Amino acid sequence: MERAGIGQSHPRDGARVRFSALRWSAYAAAMLVVAAWAFILLDGDSGFGDLFRQRTWQNAGQFVASLAGADSDGPSPFVQAARWRETGQLALNTLAMSVLAMGIAGVGALILLMPGARNVSDGTLGGAPSRTGRVVYAAVRVFYALTRAIPELVWAMLIVFFLSPGIIPGALALGIHNLGIVGRLTSEVVENLDPAPARALRAAGASSPKVLLYGVFPQALPLFLTFLMYRWEVVIRTTVVVGFLNAGGLGREFRLRMSWFHYDDVGLLLVWYLLLVIAVDVLSAQLRRRVRWD
Amino acid sequence: MSTVRPVRTGEQVAAPEPLVTIKSAAKVYGTNQGLAPLSLAIHAGERVALVGPSGSGKTTLLRLLAGALVPDQGTRSVIINGKSPAELKPGRELASLVGIVSQRFDLVPHLPVLHNVLAGRLGHWTLARSILSLVWPMERRAAQQALARVGIADKINERPGRLSGGEQQRVAIARMMMQSPLVILADEPVASLDPARAEEVMELLVGLVSWNENDGSSQRTLIASLHTASLIRRHFTRVIGLRESRVQFDLPAGELDDAVLDELYDLGDDTDDIEPLAGLAARDG
Repeated sequence: MERAGIGQSHPRDGARVRFSALRWSAYAAAMLVVAAWAFILLDGDSGFGDLFRQRTWQNAGQFVASLAGADSDGPSPFVQAARWRETGQLALNTLAMSVLAMGIAGVGALILLMPGARNVSDGTLGGAPSRTGRVVYAAVRVFYALTRAIPELVWAMLIVFFLSPGIIPGALALGIHNLGIVGRLTSEVVENLDPAPARALRAAGASSPKVLLYGVFPQALPLFLTFLMYRWEVVIRTTVVVGFLNAGGLGREFRLRMSWFHYDDVGLLLVWYLLLVIAVDVLSAQLRRRVRWD
Repeated sequence: MSTVRPVRTGEQVAAPEPLVTIKSAAKVYGTNQGLAPLSLAIHAGERVALVGPSGSGKTTLLRLLAGALVPDQGTRSVIINGKSPAELKPGRELASLVGIVSQRFDLVPHLPVLHNVLAGRLGHWTLARSILSLVWPMERRAAQQALARVGIADKINERPGRLSGGEQQRVAIARMMMQSPLVILADEPVASLDPARAEEVMELLVGLVSWNENDGSSQRTLIASLHTASLIRRHFTRVIGLRESRVQFDLPAGELDDAVLDELYDLGDDTDDIEPLAGLAARDG
């Protein structure tokens, strides 16, 4: 087929070719959808058919009921103040883990955001271009890529290998991974800054560190904090996954209770988890609103 | 080519040694002639207007003077007060030698006006003092005085984005006061302002020439590019016409008439498809 719709000499031909290509694509897509569903529903091994069986739904209902404490031995944990306190402590640990993780990511990114920006390292924003700057820039970018590419779960598996279980390895794993994400985003904010104010400071006799301090840093800071708050919302959700790996907090307890079939306890942990996620979302939104200028 | 003349301002005779000496400085960007070899001498206390169509080399000349560009003939072809600005490292010496105000004010948008004004002191401060000043502003009184002088003392805590163009240019001028250089350069400082605002800002800039934060003893020099004949006649002592990066005329500002300016902006036969800027220059009364 020719370049549909581009030829200027035969606009009508072009339009027709393009239209029929579109129509055939639509037919093909519809057939693919039908075939895919047929395969899933007819193939017994996929387990998809289970979704439509009554038994599945009965089991699900039963599970939800036991989460809510329907078949607890003795009093339900939901009515025991001691259980609320215990699990509340775990929720606090999880919150601490997330804050610590954001601290690690934030401090790391704050240190690296300048050397990790191309326009800082090559001297566009004031400051002389130097070979050291370029080498450091490349190193920081590789570090960002590495920390970002390895998921926090894998980091946690590696770290619990040599650190005793607790919230520290979890926080480290989350912190390192998010350092790569926040650091890269912030460095890119710096790369997109208007160089004019920095040049004006340069002309006022400011040396490179002062240009960065006055001309670059204040402009990058609000977005840096915004990214950090966004990532905090993600991190508080991921703490549970990382916690599965003996890394402490709600996640570890969640895994243990599941394996002991203490579904009522699992239900209580889920409640705390939900409260935590909501609280962090609200707090993060508030803080993000504060750092926005103008 | 070079038309160097001592200029008399009032009863004061210009010093025999010029403050600014340009000896056949040129700048070529790739294949573009930014500035053809040009020689000039400017004395302390002069107020020099650079006129000429876009691309005539005004900005290149100003950036050479500011030390932001290195002339092709070497750093010694631009000398201010015995020093070459391109040779100086950023710091106190360069900051007190030469400063520049541009058409686009170039304030830092996320810093309050106070810090933008104090940024003029960055060349004079140590790094530690600069860091500290972000948290506890240093020399706050001086900044307040500078802002009061440009008439926007009440805007000290505003962010530049909330100010009008004229107010932003005043902040830039207050910053220049804090920097307090011997030679003040201004690249089309009033190009984006309406005539009334332009008049006010021009007055403030010219006021800087005789302004001294201590006693008003030393005289500064102002070199500004602009297009408006009436502003030039009112505020400047000397006017230099540039065209295709060559000096076309070098007159006392009082002798500038609209005909001379019209001729300068008329680009001639071979380029008459380019709209002449003469209308801009002739607009004023």
